[in-house]
Amino acid sequence: MPDSTSDKRLREYETIFLLKPELTDENVDRIRERVRGIVQREGGKVLRFTVWGKKRTMYPIAKQARAIYVHAHYLGKPGLVSEVERNLRNLDEVTRYMSVKIADDVDPESRPALDDVKLTGDVDEARAPGPEREEFRPPELVEEIAELDEEPIEEA
Amino acid sequence: MQNASDRGGSRGAGRGGGGDGGDEEKRGGRGGFGRKKVCRFCSEKNSKVDFKDQATLKYFVTERGKIIPRRISGNCAKHQRQMATAIKRARALALIPYTVMSG
Repeated sequence: MPDSTSDKRLREYETIFLLKPELTDENVDRIRERVRGIVQREGGKVLRFTVWGKKRTMYPIAKQARAIYVHAHYLGKPGLVSEVERNLRNLDEVTRYMSVKIADDVDPESRPALDDVKLTGDVDEARAPGPEREEFRPPELVEEIAELDEEPIEEA
Repeated sequence: MQNASDRGGSRGAGRGGGGDGGDEEKRGGRGGFGRKKVCRFCSEKNSKVDFKDQATLKYFVTERGKIIPRRISGNCAKHQRQMATAIKRARALALIPYTVMSG
C-alpha cells in the first residue's frame, strides 16, 4: 500500500446529465462551463466533457421525446459529486442526471485532461453515435428470446 | 448428471414435454443447438461492460426490453452481473427502454 491516503489521490467519476432539447448551443456550453467551474473549485480535475448532442430518448423525459446528453468525466474528492448533483438539481434546464464512480484512488498526474468532444446526436433517423455492432443472433436464440417476451397467457 | 448444462429445460417444460432425460437427446438431434456459449466479454479481452454503449446493450435485452438471462446470452456470472447493472443504468437515462408497449 503506497501512501494512498494522501490527499493527492482522487476518485474518478462520470456524470451524465440530460438537458431540455430546445436549448441552444450557447446554453449548453454555459451549463458545461458551470459544471467545470464546480469541479475545479472543489479541487477536482475535469478529464473530458462529451456533448452527445440531441438524442431521442426511449421514453419521454420531462414530456419531451428528445434530450441533449452531456457526459462529464472527472476526478474529484469525496463530496464533489454531491456538490455537482446539488447544482444540477437546481438548474431548470437539467431534466435528469446520473453519476457513477469509475475508480478509487487515481493519481491526477497520470490522467491528462482531454479536449472536449461534441457529437452531433441523432440526425433524424440516424442511429445513436458510438460503435455500431452488427446484430447477430443465431436463429435458435431468437426463438428463445421470443418466448421470454410472450405475455403470460390466461388458461383457457 | 442430468441438468449439468446451463441451458436448462425451460423450453421442454413449457411445452409439457417429456422427462428431463429425453430432453438432452432431443437437443443433440437439432443441429447446432448444443453449441457452447462463451461469454462475449471474456473472449474479447478489451471489451468492457459499458452502460453508455447502446448498441451492445441492445444485444442483451429482448425487444420488449427485458434482460436476457444468462443461460441464453451465454454471459459468465461476473459479466452478467455487470450487464444487469449497466442495463438498469441505461434505462434510467432513457438509452434503452424499461418496457416496450403494444404486442
